[in-house]
Amino acid sequence: MNFHLYQIAIILVSAIMIFQGVRNYVRGKGSQTIYKLLIRISIWGGMIVVAFFPDTLSLLAKTLGIIDNMNAVIITGFLLVFLMIFKLLSAIERLEQGLSEVTRKEALKDIDR
Amino acid sequence: MPHNKVFIVVPVFNEARVIKDTLKEIQNEGYANIIVVDDGSTDQTYQMANEASDILVLRHRLNRGKGAATKTGIEAAKLLNADIIVTMDGDGQHDPKDIQKLIEPILKKHCDVILGTRLANPKGMPWHKIIANHIGNFFTWYLFGLWVTDSQSGFRAYSHHAAELINTKYDRYEYDSEVIREIYIYKLKFKEIPIEVRYTEYSMNKMHKQNIWNGLITLYKMFWKLIN
Repeated sequence: MNFHLYQIAIILVSAIMIFQGVRNYVRGKGSQTIYKLLIRISIWGGMIVVAFFPDTLSLLAKTLGIIDNMNAVIITGFLLVFLMIFKLLSAIERLEQGLSEVTRKEALKDIDR
Repeated sequence: MPHNKVFIVVPVFNEARVIKDTLKEIQNEGYANIIVVDDGSTDQTYQMANEASDILVLRHRLNRGKGAATKTGIEAAKLLNADIIVTMDGDGQHDPKDIQKLIEPILKKHCDVILGTRLANPKGMPWHKIIANHIGNFFTWYLFGLWVTDSQSGFRAYSHHAAELINTKYDRYEYDSEVIREIYIYKLKFKEIPIEVRYTEYSMNKMHKQNIWNGLITLYKMFWKLIN
């Protein structure tokens, strides 16, 4: 089996991401749960499968019915919109947490240490 | 029993009608270290709490939610070198007589966290509240991996060790479930102890504000923060 450089890169990056997820889960680090780990493994594992067997994408496209360019454009558009909403919600979440932290610091500033 | 290192944290939002009585009741049980966190109330809660003597009253300028206010109170207690931190609601539904039951296992070094559970004796508890609690328990177990009988109870006690480890980020009602997750992650020793809840006309009216819609929002936030 001949590999292109991009396939090797994808496999390496995906393997690192899966390894980090498993390591965090085993160490009970942060908020890593079994569900997050499974999501991570399925996404990055999928990337590895696609890197090993690029033809699976064509099979997937046929199965899903994405057989012409217009369908592909519309679906890509949807995915981009979802991604943007996800990013926006993440940004709002970070702002909310920052706001709570500032409010807390202000409330605690007069406590004698 | 020495209470000088036990701190009671009371997060409040628009509880002007009952806050003074609630604080008086806690003081009558012999607890002098009380921290009230006014979570940006729009009524006279802050002034009323300040009128009560020997109470540390902190104020959130903006309403950030019950979870955020509780965390502020716990942070304050940690700064004041608390050995045990008890959190309880400010609407008078929790009986301060139960505090002793909650802190006893921590004083004896048997546990790190004590969770007050209303469902061991749900007498007088509205049926919809019981169902909502069971649903909350299921999703807390499903998402965070630990089964408890009352995942939404705000009446809890923490050792200093537990308070140092538990690091919550959820600001609103998801906070109660997040604490369960932290207990699971840090493998803290915990115990559930039955508590009495006093369902007065006042607290029942407040409960109606925590309706099914708010429950769904809480659930959505738990899912969202899990994947985010």
